[in-house]
Parts: sequence; structure tokens; C-alpha cells
Amino acid sequence: MPPVASIRDLTVQYGSFVALRDFSVDVPEGCVGLLGPNGAGKTTLIKTLLGFVDPSQGQGQVLGRQIGRHDLQIRQNIGYMPEQDCHIPGLTAVQYVAYAGELGGLPANQSIRRAHEVLEYCGLGEARYRPVETYSTGMKQRIKLAQALVHGPQLLLLDEPTNGLDPLGREEMLNLVRSVSHEKGVNVLVSSHLLPDIERTCDHVIVLLGGTLRAEGLIKDLKRVDGHPMDVELRAPANGFAETCADRGLSLIEGDGQRFRFEGLEDPENTSRMLFEAASQSGAQIRRLSLAVRSLEEAFMEAVDA
Amino acid sequence: MPEPIADLSYRTYSGSHLAVGSRWLVIARMGWRTAFKKKSFWVFSGFAAWYYLVMIAFLYVIEQLDITRRAGPMAEQFFGNVPWKDHFLTGFTYGQIMWLSLSLLVGAGAIANDNGTNALLVYLSKPCRKVDYLLGKWMGGFVPLLVGMAIPTAFFYLYGLLNFREYGFVSNDPWLGMRLLAMVTVAAVFQTSVILGVSSLFNQGRMAGAAYAAAFFLLTFFSFLMFIAWSVSQGTRRHHANPQLGDIAERLYHLSFDGLQIGWAKVVLGTDGSAPFVGKAGGMPQMHAPPPAFVLVPMALLSLVGIALAWRRIRAVEVVK
Repeated sequence: MPPVASIRDLTVQYGSFVALRDFSVDVPEGCVGLLGPNGAGKTTLIKTLLGFVDPSQGQGQVLGRQIGRHDLQIRQNIGYMPEQDCHIPGLTAVQYVAYAGELGGLPANQSIRRAHEVLEYCGLGEARYRPVETYSTGMKQRIKLAQALVHGPQLLLLDEPTNGLDPLGREEMLNLVRSVSHEKGVNVLVSSHLLPDIERTCDHVIVLLGGTLRAEGLIKDLKRVDGHPMDVELRAPANGFAETCADRGLSLIEGDGQRFRFEGLEDPENTSRMLFEAASQSGAQIRRLSLAVRSLEEAFMEAVDA
Repeated sequence: MPEPIADLSYRTYSGSHLAVGSRWLVIARMGWRTAFKKKSFWVFSGFAAWYYLVMIAFLYVIEQLDITRRAGPMAEQFFGNVPWKDHFLTGFTYGQIMWLSLSLLVGAGAIANDNGTNALLVYLSKPCRKVDYLLGKWMGGFVPLLVGMAIPTAFFYLYGLLNFREYGFVSNDPWLGMRLLAMVTVAAVFQTSVILGVSSLFNQGRMAGAAYAAAFFLLTFFSFLMFIAWSVSQGTRRHHANPQLGDIAERLYHLSFDGLQIGWAKVVLGTDGSAPFVGKAGGMPQMHAPPPAFVLVPMALLSLVGIALAWRRIRAVEVVK
């Protein structure tokens, strides 16, 4: 599958400050997380994709169109949800979203129809005739998503979509983002510094730090630990289980009497078989057995430290 | 199972899109809708017609007297000598404060409010260029302002056309309608351009409006001082006239927002004006119309500065509160 966006050797400067340095990346289809601490260059990358900033060098394509040359066609097919509050003053939600639809190129009759649909989808159906100024923070986040979606974009750029939301609002926003990308077939690029948000919504992640690419790939690949170690959880602490495993050639990495992580053999199936044999011999009951993975936070920290 | 009344689930849009070049029209239409929906817009436009209404009442009374007294040639002489151009000039001059109110209403918040709510990110993240935004905002202000200014003028023009045609309303100056159109159009272009420039400098419409109104009144006060200087220069029984001071004051009088527009009105109507009701026969001196370049060049320059300021300030930048 061709990438949704492709960036090559991109450098973006604000005066003497380099926000992105020789940055190259392919953004695949699906839901992709743009991960990095504040100031890493996430928003700059999004603004470059939108054609808001002129790179000092490098080039890129979005949906097969050249950045800087076909910006209008790119923006026709992109929806952007900015990080900060943004709305057009003096309008009700349905007027605002319909107006955004018309700005996105929809005929007036279509834009009003889609405004109602999108507001309903984003959970603002009941409040659609209220002025946007009276909305709560959570509702303002939702309406930003609605205005980004109304013209039917192929790619959605979400900059910190859970910014300022309470736990319930955050949960609902993440569900919406996941629904858009996984059920409605819209490609989504989510920028966030919140690892759990990215882990909840995305399949693929791009890690930035100081304007450079530090890691990228499927989240499940990034979380994988080298050497196929295995995690074992026993039903109850069992004396002798670790020793029996050691006798069979499985070296213990860490363990607390009930939970263990063993260095794996080349074939994970062999490791599993030997663990079951050791449990049987030592009288232990295995509750859970799985290939060891690290958290996204550990993977992120490793990428950042590198 | 009953059918749902509407399909409210999100679907990918696969229909047609409007041409990219038409985005300015979408923005302009929003400006028109917003302006024309405001009651105060129509109130200000109506108030701007007060002088015309007084004149209509005055002319009506004269007309009725003429009918009852059967004045004949005397009335013909009176109505044939009505200085229509001067009345339009006076109406335009007296309407300046309402034109200011109208321009504040339609223009002060046009860009400032968008700056304050990060709306530029919404506009510019859509297939909408800076030029589309600016043209849309400009047209969104210009058309309501033109309509607001033109309605009182057109009302009085139609009154004259329908009632005094036989007294030379058209034949004395066949181009009067076009002159009036030019008068209000150039004034609306000027005011729209300047207030958009001021609006772009602020994050709140009310601040932009206050700044524009402050500049307007300061310059108007300067014009008022020049008017006093000019009046003094005309001489009295005790003092001799000072034509040199009069010339300077007369020129400087037109260097304010309303002075430029009044000067332009004099130029385009081809009259220096006359005192209401008494006309030229009253013998009251009037400031002369300035040379056309003297008002058109500053108006053009100020308009360009306004548009250039707005152009420079339209950026997809987030305002963090």
C-alpha cells in the first residue's frame, strides 16, 4: 500500500531555530501516532503537511500530491483539528460545521446535511443549535473534530485531541478517534505526548525528538523485546519452579516467586514446552504464559535515550 | 420496523466539490448574512437618511402649499432651482457618523474576532488561500457597507426622480445617478479597506472598533479645528479676510476619514455645497471642492495600507490563551 504521506530530508526553520532537521518518514495508511515530548516538532510536521510553513529544504507528498505545489488539493482531502481552541465566532454549532463544509468545497445543501450527520456522530446532536462560545472544553474538542470531518477528508490530522479533557471526555474522544480510523476508513495521524492515548488509538507510531526521527513502526513491533523472552505467571507462589527451569537451561531474568521472566530459546514453542514441563515437575500451576513485551513507555524512553 | 427519519451516521463524502476559486464567495456570503441579519445595521442605515427625510418633508410642504395656493410659475421656479447635488452632498456629510457606525458594525470584528478564536486555522486548513480569505472578508464588508450607504441616497434620488422630473431633476444633471453611485462606492471601498486593516491588528472586534473610532474622531476634531480656522479666515466686520489661511485650512480640512469622503463627494458631484433650506441664495460661503488628486491619492494610499496590513497579519498561527 502506498504511504499516505511521504517526507524526504525535510528541514524546517523558524529563524535560527531548527524545528525539523533532515527529517524523512513514510506515514502508512491507518491510524498513526506522532509521539514526542513538547517541542519535538510534531506540530511543525503537521503544519508542513498542510502547507502552512515553507521548508528550507527537502520535499514531501501527501496523498500522492506534492507539498508546496498542490497545497489546495492536499487540503481538499485533509481534515485538521488544531491543538488550541478554534471556532468561527457568532455561529451555532451546525452553522459553524456547515460553513466549514462549504469552505471545504461542499455545495451548501450537502454541507448542511453533513453538518447534522457529523455533529450527531461526534455526540453533539443535542447541542447543535447552541452557540459554540457556550460549549464546554470537551464539546469544543468534539466540534473541532466535526469541522475537520465534515468535508469527508481522506486523512485526518489531529493535534493533541485530548488536550484539556477530563477522564470521561478523554475516553470518549479516544473512542471517536478509533471509530473514525478503524470503522470509517479514514486515515488518521494523531499527534500527542500522551503515550496511553497513542497506544489506545494507533497501530503505528512515529517518535520524534528535537526535530529528528527517533523510531517508527508498528506499536506491537516496538514493544517486542529482543530474544523471545517469556513471561510466566503462576496461580500461587511455588518453591522450586525457578530452579527446575534453570535445570532445564532456561535462565531467569527476573521473578518474584509468582511472576517470572525467562530468557527464551530460539524457538518460543520449545520455551513454552519446557516451562510447562518444569511446572509439572515442581507442582506449580501456570495461570498465564506469553511472549514478554515491554510497555510503549519503555520503548519510547529507549528511542528517546538513543 | 420504521425507517429512521434521517441517516445520522458518518459516511465518507463521495459527491462533487465546488471549484477552489469560489471559496471567497463562501466567506463573503457569511459576511453578508451576518451583517444583514443585524437589526442595528438597518437602524444605522435608516438614521443616515435623516437629512433626506427632513428635506422630503420640507419639499412636501412646499408642494402642498403650491397646490393649495395654485402658485403656478413661482413654484415652478422654486422646484426648478432645487440644488439637488448640494442636498445629496449635505445628506452624505451629515450621514458620516452613521457610516462610521456601519463600518464598525460590519468591519471591526471581521478579522479581529477570527484572530481571537484561532478561526484562521479553520479557514486556512481548508482549500482556501490567503487571498480567498481576504477577498471574502473584504467583499463581506464592502457590500453591506455599500448597501447601507446607498439606501438613503437611492431613496432620496428616487423621490426626486418620481416627483420632480418635470422640474428638471433628470435633465439638469443626467449623470447624477452615476455620480451618486461613484460617491458611495468609493467611500465604501475606502472605509472597508481601512477598517479591515485595523481589524487585523487586534484579537478582539471591540478593541479594533475602539481604535478605528478613536482615529476617526481625532482626525475629525482636527478637521473641525481647520473648519474654525477657515471660518475665521473668511473675515468679519471687524477683521479682514485672510485668504492664505483660508486656502491652507480648506486643504487640511479634508485630511481626515470623513474629510476625505466629503472632499470626494464634492469632487464627484461637482459642487462646493450650499446651506440647507436657503441654498446658494443664502450667501453663506462654503469650502471649495479640493483638487481630485488631493483626496483620491490619500484615500487610495490608506486603502492599500489597510489591505497590506491585513494581508501581512493573515497567518495560520495559533493564539494560546
